[in-house]
Amino acid sequence: MRPKLKTRLQQGFLWLVAVAFFLPVLWIFLAAFKTAGQILAVPPSWIFRPTLQGLTYMASHQAFWTHALNSVVISLSAVVLAIIVSFVAAYSFSRFRLRGTDFMMFVLLSIRMVPGAAVVVPMYLMYTALGWINTYPGIILFYTMFSIPFSVWILKGFIDGVSPRFDEAAQSDGASRLHVMFRIVLPQVLPGIVAAFIFNTIFVWNEFLFDFIIGGNQVATIPVALASGLYTSQGIDWQYIASLTFVYTLPLMVVIYFFQKYLLVGMTFGTVRGEV
Amino acid sequence: MAGVRLLGLTKRFGAVAAVDNLNVEFPDAQVTCLLGPSGCGKTTLLRMIAGLEQPSGGQIFFDHDEVGEWSASRRNVGMVFQSPVVYPGLTVYDNVALPLRGTLPEAELRQRVGEVLELVELQAVAERKADSLGNAERQKVSVARAVARRPRVLLFDEPVTNIAAGERVTLKRAFKRLTTEVRLTLVYVTHDQTEAMTLADYIAVMRDGKLVQYGPPRSVYRAPRDRFVGWFLGNPGMNFVEIGAPGEDGGSLFSGAGPQLKAPAMVGFRPEYVEVLSDPEPASIEARVMRAPITVGGQHLLTLKAGDTTFKAKTDYRQTYATGQTVYVKIPADQLRWFDPAREELSPPVPGDAE
Repeated sequence: MRPKLKTRLQQGFLWLVAVAFFLPVLWIFLAAFKTAGQILAVPPSWIFRPTLQGLTYMASHQAFWTHALNSVVISLSAVVLAIIVSFVAAYSFSRFRLRGTDFMMFVLLSIRMVPGAAVVVPMYLMYTALGWINTYPGIILFYTMFSIPFSVWILKGFIDGVSPRFDEAAQSDGASRLHVMFRIVLPQVLPGIVAAFIFNTIFVWNEFLFDFIIGGNQVATIPVALASGLYTSQGIDWQYIASLTFVYTLPLMVVIYFFQKYLLVGMTFGTVRGEV
Repeated sequence: MAGVRLLGLTKRFGAVAAVDNLNVEFPDAQVTCLLGPSGCGKTTLLRMIAGLEQPSGGQIFFDHDEVGEWSASRRNVGMVFQSPVVYPGLTVYDNVALPLRGTLPEAELRQRVGEVLELVELQAVAERKADSLGNAERQKVSVARAVARRPRVLLFDEPVTNIAAGERVTLKRAFKRLTTEVRLTLVYVTHDQTEAMTLADYIAVMRDGKLVQYGPPRSVYRAPRDRFVGWFLGNPGMNFVEIGAPGEDGGSLFSGAGPQLKAPAMVGFRPEYVEVLSDPEPASIEARVMRAPITVGGQHLLTLKAGDTTFKAKTDYRQTYATGQTVYVKIPADQLRWFDPAREELSPPVPGDAE
């Protein structure tokens, strides 16, 4: 009996920690269903009648639709582009094993080791010179570049796991290199593609700094919208922020919940195999 | 189908020549086994024929086409690897049909795939996913896929090595059926001589990147060109006895059997041709049984010692032998092969030299 009690206490404690971490998220989610008055009520109102007032209020703003659409379009197109490029790159790294492949892989990843704040000013100057500030292609290409390193790493791990004999057999069977890549190897690394997709979608979806600096009104995404442009004459519009945060976070949480296992293989760069 | 001709084919990895200036022709519609110990360059040779490895020098011809510069996909070869390659997620049927799609009308494709699946006895599992099958059946799938395209040349790279021993038999039977029922130019790499002996029309024995001997299995077996081939072929390989001069050492064993010995010589004879007798006969000599284990097939593999000469003999299962026992041995003169002891190569029989 005793050890059982102990286990239960431990589990209870872990739940407590988990809930504590989730509390701020829960709070902002609950706030999305409160009236403006209830959000800032002191003491906080835990029990309230949920209302869709906040969400309809948000939906009535034209800006919300622009930002949401920007977030979706920019994240998805950047990540899809990045994965296409990364798959081809990872295939080449995996199969042609040129001298210095490991070093090139390292250099690639080092792009992501540099803190954003350190490169944002040069990026801004470059983008100004190119006239890419506040354009869709500009920001999409940036996020594509931003997503490539991790995708290449994840996908190379997976492609390494596919025996080159598949390539050779298919080539002897008359297949072209492109056919081998997309019809023979690609289907076998789908878990890696999903992992890379989710990983980078999370990164890009949440990215704020670069969209804020090298983007602009036209291409502002939800994170930028959350941080700016919400100051009304009455102060910060918490109702809008709560609703926006809710709508913005929910899809990502749902996706992650259902694709957890892919996230795990992605984090290990495909070295934990067989579970997917 | 096409014959394969190699001219001065060479492949170097750094300073090592994996394949060294090879000149040979594998005939059209025949099965040639490339036989040799691990690392002798046979797989490299096969991969060069397939176009998966660039030669460092030399030429490769399929009939009159020089294919050295052609990509693997253009050469129209069928390749089967050591580990079975099946395209996962596809059925057995689709695996075989995939390379044919777009090249044949549907009805003809259906018939062609059906025939090949029948040949390797896979019709029963045609609609199963190929990756759900066992290793031996997967290998059959890759063989079927290679054959179905009717390639100019079929290349098998040790196709049974990674298959569990029990399943090998069914696979080998399928190969045998394939080679007898379809006319194929097949180059088959193996280090297993039994496989080579049962399948091959021609055997090419390789060692250290060089072709040592090429010919029909029986003649290679009966007249190995050098000591290596004699030792490598056969289980166990040929016995070799060096004879200093007539009458010396084990000379008595072979006295009068060979050519008139002018210089030191080396004689080779296969263990299965040694006659072991319990009683002396004319021209037999006395030997002592050193070891007498039983081999596969229930035969005895005797280690015998006559004078200072130790050699092996394979005998009937009906006799029993005890270690230390004395027996009498006789070796038919026509089963002796004479080698030049310095170069360890077969000495051609010189007319008039033999008495």
